[in-house]
Amino acid sequence: MRSRFGTAILAAILTAAPLGAQVLLPMKSGSVRFLVIGDAGTGGREQYDVANQIIRYDKTFPFTFALMLGDNIYGSERPQDFDRKFTRPYKTLLDKGIEFNAALGNHDDPNQRFYKPFNLGGNRYRTFKKGNVRFFVIDSNYLDPEQLKWLDKELAASGSDWKIAYFHHPLYTTARRGPEVEVRAVLEPLFVKHGVDVVFSGHEHIYERYKPQKGIYYFTVGGAAKLRKGDTHPSPMLAARFDRDRSFLLAEIAGDSLYFQTVSRTGAVVDKGVLARREVRPPATPTAAPAAAKTP
Amino acid sequence: MLRALDFRRLVLVVSAGAAVAATGCKKEETKPAANPTDTVFADFAKRIDGYVKLRKTLVDSVGELDPTKSQAEITTRATKLANSIIAARAQAKPGDIFTPEFSALIATLIKQEYSRRPDSVQETREDQQDELPNFVPKVNQLYPTTYPLATFPATLLPILPPLPEALEYRIVQNYLVLRDIEANVILDVMPNAVPT
Repeated sequence: MRSRFGTAILAAILTAAPLGAQVLLPMKSGSVRFLVIGDAGTGGREQYDVANQIIRYDKTFPFTFALMLGDNIYGSERPQDFDRKFTRPYKTLLDKGIEFNAALGNHDDPNQRFYKPFNLGGNRYRTFKKGNVRFFVIDSNYLDPEQLKWLDKELAASGSDWKIAYFHHPLYTTARRGPEVEVRAVLEPLFVKHGVDVVFSGHEHIYERYKPQKGIYYFTVGGAAKLRKGDTHPSPMLAARFDRDRSFLLAEIAGDSLYFQTVSRTGAVVDKGVLARREVRPPATPTAAPAAAKTP
Repeated sequence: MLRALDFRRLVLVVSAGAAVAATGCKKEETKPAANPTDTVFADFAKRIDGYVKLRKTLVDSVGELDPTKSQAEITTRATKLANSIIAARAQAKPGDIFTPEFSALIATLIKQEYSRRPDSVQETREDQQDELPNFVPKVNQLYPTTYPLATFPATLLPILPPLPEALEYRIVQNYLVLRDIEANVILDVMPNAVPT
């Protein structure tokens, strides 16, 4: 168990801006910048370590909002749990006005939708827009026909350049529990039909980035507090994977490019790249070749 | 109010009709056109409507919940609502909403649906129960906050009768559970609903 003094020293080191967060994003004027974290709400030391690293990066790469991929609060959900597992670790970011946009995980009480700082507005699923990007927050725990109908309608109505969906369960993963094939069976056809560009999920406590599947980029970013060491496995479908430590992802969208970098708890960059926006295709040609990813 | 059955469910429902008849559902001698499945589903809808009406009066007494920064407010309100529901349904017992006829029909539908799924899907469904060891759900019990809410199989939901927004189905081991979402109260349980 680390001593309180040791923790304070580590926190001071991790949050010290001059130590140079290795920001590889272009920080273009007018770009949409955001943070992605998944499975964060343990209230444990690792969550605080990751949070401190995020705060450190925010000093160099200021972002305006965050996507939470579910399992926002593990275990009991008393007021003091929300304090220990959310408001305290991210206090610096919350005080700056950074907006957290949560999706619900299987460990989350659906009443989290009433918790204002999670910005669900009383709903299990919702959509919001930032710049030229439309985000779709999906409740993958309970994909009732009502929600699927809503998603189909909202995706069809989206006039945004970028369509990004995020939810808890990964449609593709090499991790032990495997992909959520049932969730994939109902969501993927809608994503393909409406030209979703990128999907972020958590649930598996690792980091993975898939090569485009049916034209869609899939990320699993489920290690913002918990870790299942060694739980990613080589696959020709994978573009990158990291399972040695906790991680988070920073993204920047400028025009038709999405720049990203994934950072470990210690501040090391474990993945980076730039994705081209998938062209909006008519529903009749959903299997057209995907746009290529390249490293900057 | 429950919506009309979609075509897919209708097909399944018709195929499962025999199971309902086998449970001793009253035979309509004077109205040969009546489908026993429709009767069972209509009865279920009526029971759900009855609960929704009761719930509305209880919600009126504890107040609607709007998004708030205060988790304490959310917890207090959920607790009040749960206590009111449990008190108002103190005599509730398994089968009050999931009647034996409804249970027989649903178990058949679920079994048929499971048999159509490949092993990989069934394994995923079993894995989802791994985090719920030794949890035996009971009527009027609060769903333990220390357990996750096992993801409901996405392809199974469309074959079940739709529920009002305030309610949901959950699977716990081999039980189908009916849960009031905001109050976190288990309203009914159906043992042996899910093949193991």
